Amino acid sequence: MNDGSSKKILFNKSTLFSLKAELLRKQEEVNEKKQLPQNRLENFKPPARERDKDEKQANKEYKKSFKDRLKAVDTEELEAIRKSKLALEKKAELYEHLSDSAGHSQLAERFLVDFNTKKQQEPEPVSHSSHVEEPVQPDPPETDVIDDDSDWTEFTDCLGRTRKCLKSDLDMFLKKDAQLLKAINRDKNPGIDANEKMTEQEEIAPAKEKPLLVQTTNDYLQSLREKWEQKEQELLAKDKDIHYQDLLFDEARIHGVGYYSFSTEETERQKQMEDLIKRRQETLKAQKEAEEVRKKRDEMMAARVAAARARQRARAGLPPEETKDNQKDFTTCLLEFLTQQKNEADAKAKEEENKIKEAQEKERQKLREAYIREWDIGKEGVEGKVKKFREMTQEEYVEQQRDKRIKEFAPQAPKPSTSSNASVFDDKGNCVGSNATATATKTWADVRPLPKTPPPPEIGELNEIQPQKGLYFTSSKKNEMAVKYRNFVKAQEATPIVNELEETEPTSSTSSYKSVEKRKHESAGAEVPPPPTFEYYGPTIKQTKFDIPFQSDIREAYSQGAKSLEPKSSNRQLPQHYDFTFD
Amino acid sequence: MTSSEVSYNRKIISEDLSNVEFDTSEDVEVIPTFDSMGLRDELLRGIYTYGFEKPSAIQQRSILPIVKGRDVIAQAQSGTGKTATFSISILQSLDTTLRETQVLVLSPTRELATQIQKVILALGDFMNVQCHACIGGTNLGEDIRKLDYGQHVVSGTPGRVFDMIRRRVLRTRSIKMLVLDEADEMLNKGFKEQIYDVYRYLPPATQVVLISATLPHEILEMTSKFMTDPIRILVKRDELTLEGIKQFFVAVEREEWKFDTLCDLYDTLTITQAVIFCNTKRKVDWLTQKMQEANFTVSSMHGDMPQKERDNIMKEFRSGQSRVLITTDVWARGIDVQQVSLVINYDLPNNRELYIHRIGRSGRFGRKGVAINFVKSDDIRILRDIEQYYSTQIDEMPMNVADLI
Repeated sequence: MNDGSSKKILFNKSTLFSLKAELLRKQEEVNEKKQLPQNRLENFKPPARERDKDEKQANKEYKKSFKDRLKAVDTEELEAIRKSKLALEKKAELYEHLSDSAGHSQLAERFLVDFNTKKQQEPEPVSHSSHVEEPVQPDPPETDVIDDDSDWTEFTDCLGRTRKCLKSDLDMFLKKDAQLLKAINRDKNPGIDANEKMTEQEEIAPAKEKPLLVQTTNDYLQSLREKWEQKEQELLAKDKDIHYQDLLFDEARIHGVGYYSFSTEETERQKQMEDLIKRRQETLKAQKEAEEVRKKRDEMMAARVAAARARQRARAGLPPEETKDNQKDFTTCLLEFLTQQKNEADAKAKEEENKIKEAQEKERQKLREAYIREWDIGKEGVEGKVKKFREMTQEEYVEQQRDKRIKEFAPQAPKPSTSSNASVFDDKGNCVGSNATATATKTWADVRPLPKTPPPPEIGELNEIQPQKGLYFTSSKKNEMAVKYRNFVKAQEATPIVNELEETEPTSSTSSYKSVEKRKHESAGAEVPPPPTFEYYGPTIKQTKFDIPFQSDIREAYSQGAKSLEPKSSNRQLPQHYDFTFD
Repeated sequence: MTSSEVSYNRKIISEDLSNVEFDTSEDVEVIPTFDSMGLRDELLRGIYTYGFEKPSAIQQRSILPIVKGRDVIAQAQSGTGKTATFSISILQSLDTTLRETQVLVLSPTRELATQIQKVILALGDFMNVQCHACIGGTNLGEDIRKLDYGQHVVSGTPGRVFDMIRRRVLRTRSIKMLVLDEADEMLNKGFKEQIYDVYRYLPPATQVVLISATLPHEILEMTSKFMTDPIRILVKRDELTLEGIKQFFVAVEREEWKFDTLCDLYDTLTITQAVIFCNTKRKVDWLTQKMQEANFTVSSMHGDMPQKERDNIMKEFRSGQSRVLITTDVWARGIDVQQVSLVINYDLPNNRELYIHRIGRSGRFGRKGVAINFVKSDDIRILRDIEQYYSTQIDEMPMNVADLI
């Protein structure tokens, strides 16, 4: 509407309406733009500048530079510009006078603008006044339109875009524009100065008509940020406990099902917490009660069923049912007994293991306590530790070193004889070597009495014998196992082979296999003289005996085994796959 | 990490460790439920409330040794609950009646330190625990006041924490545990000195816990300087990438084409939330501006921004108000936003560890994730190296990538 022409305005109704419409549109536009965050006064940091004079000077300079840039400017045009400028200045003066007097001036009636209402509508008169006071305007060719808000101006940049900025910043932007022009001429470089980017963004934003949606989301974000800011200020304002809810800030996080969003108000929170705990206790109580009721009901039901059955039996003429305890047969009893034994053994083994571990852990803990970290050296209290560490006596040190030494590398202890296996065992196959009894843990052979009856098979051995169940169907390899078993029960014979068997670990049976194989080979060969005993001589009888391994004396053998198990059970345990049903 | 992968082999620490292979300690117990860990009732409630039901592999193994007071080095894949691991352990070993700093947690970025504070407060919501985030870029006066108020746990960045210790605002005499989150980063050249400075103020033989998804050999080598016979829970590098995170690459001939590719992918990015990594702050600024000029809504964050702005961006992203974040490696480690399901490496990371951390921003705690690498022809070699190093698979991006998110 201020298009600077000095023509007299001819008006009729339609022009009035269109003028009014234009005015409203412009007002709305300006208000809208003012709402944008980048146009907010509090967000906008104008570069440091000096007032009036500087600005004028800057404008002059700018004019000059612009003239230089646009080489062809008519003097006629310049004259027109001067005139229009003068007119504009006058008009601005008048405008200001009118707006100041807010409609009370006599002149007011002559104009269409209602300055009274305009003044009331004006939201920020202060910021305006400073600029309105000096209505210096850039040359019309560059600034095509001067908005109703006199802070803003538009210019055309080197790329032909129409841009809008604060008047006061116009010169700065023009300088930037010139730089940009240069930059474009050189090369299109992506890495533009960050500062410039920011300003560019600022310029572009208002020029573009942002869609409504974008703007509303921006507004929403702004309001959110304000909310968070306020919350943070609250947190900082006073000394109080901070809880999770205070820091959530609308975070979109999925919590557990039991999540309860407490109040950020301390007293309210306390109340909620108490309430929650109370309810929890109530729940626990209710659960317990329900459980009790259920148990009672089940018992009653069982009793009723039992009574009904008893009645039925009585009607049928049968004797009353035995109680369940008596119904347990031998196998289940045995099973129970064995599992109990096994569990006990397990527990014992575990306990022992734990003890060992604990001891080791203690040792390690001691070492850890003595350890000094490099980064700790020089700290208070560490020096003493260092000293203490060094105060170890020679003997202590030697002992410590001895403990660390691997046994194999220890010097040999004085012994009556140093010969190997043969002398360690006497002719009865008992281990007598002092070394073996002293160091090695007691083997089964050591504690074995010298019985006339065949010794019961050790329970631990059963897993090796067990494949005999499949003996009737499978290969000769299993036979070897069987033969081994035969050897085992023949153990009381003081043959060298038996000695070998007992000397080696009962569980590792490779050597016994070898010996057995050797013997088999010998017995098969014709050149070998018959063995001295009948057992060796009659393989067929043996075979049949062996084919049905457990039938005859299984119970007896088993009871013996169980007896022997009792002292042994501490470190032996049943194989898990062991099948208790022999028959 | 299943038990079969945990091999039992403890090596004796000697002077030269460069040839020593570090393995998981032999006596690591596996506890299958939170209930059987012997934790306090209030803490258990906090754990379940926060959303954990069954402990992850690392939680099953690490919580108990830490609670017992042992020095622990714990490694686990990204997003498997490492922060919660040490948070639970811390909360279990706290004496809440003693209103002094008992545990110090150090992490490389301010956002991570704030996040840890939040997790500790969440898990300890029923314990009335006080945890303070002691980070740079905030008001010193406020920091001092908060510390004077009495904090059980301080989670911070090394610089500000050291400052507070030196001013005697943060008293160290009751500190019994030091946790270094993202330990490999914290013990790298940039941070190691600062860690040392802080450590010098702690009581001797303070319990030390190291946590990270990546623990290179040279870091493990130096741990004996400030740890005593640590329990190690480690992951072999070929098990470090998660099944749930699918990795792809897009080959571009020229750098400029990356931008077009990104624009084409924008619809995919906004399905849930996405993070785009650039290697420099300048590039983040540049890309953000270019995206905005092309009318795409994106937000950006990097270390040169004022802390206030960083905070706001984080809150917006956490609340889901912004869905696409363009950022630098300041965001690579530890930050946990559940809804992030897509990570784009606009530039390939500068080292192999960062790759693991970056792609680990997606696929949090068992969720699905997709990582897309933009590679110029000469970058493919680097990508193949990463692929081989972690024994993983990085295929060319399929057309239906959106279905995988």
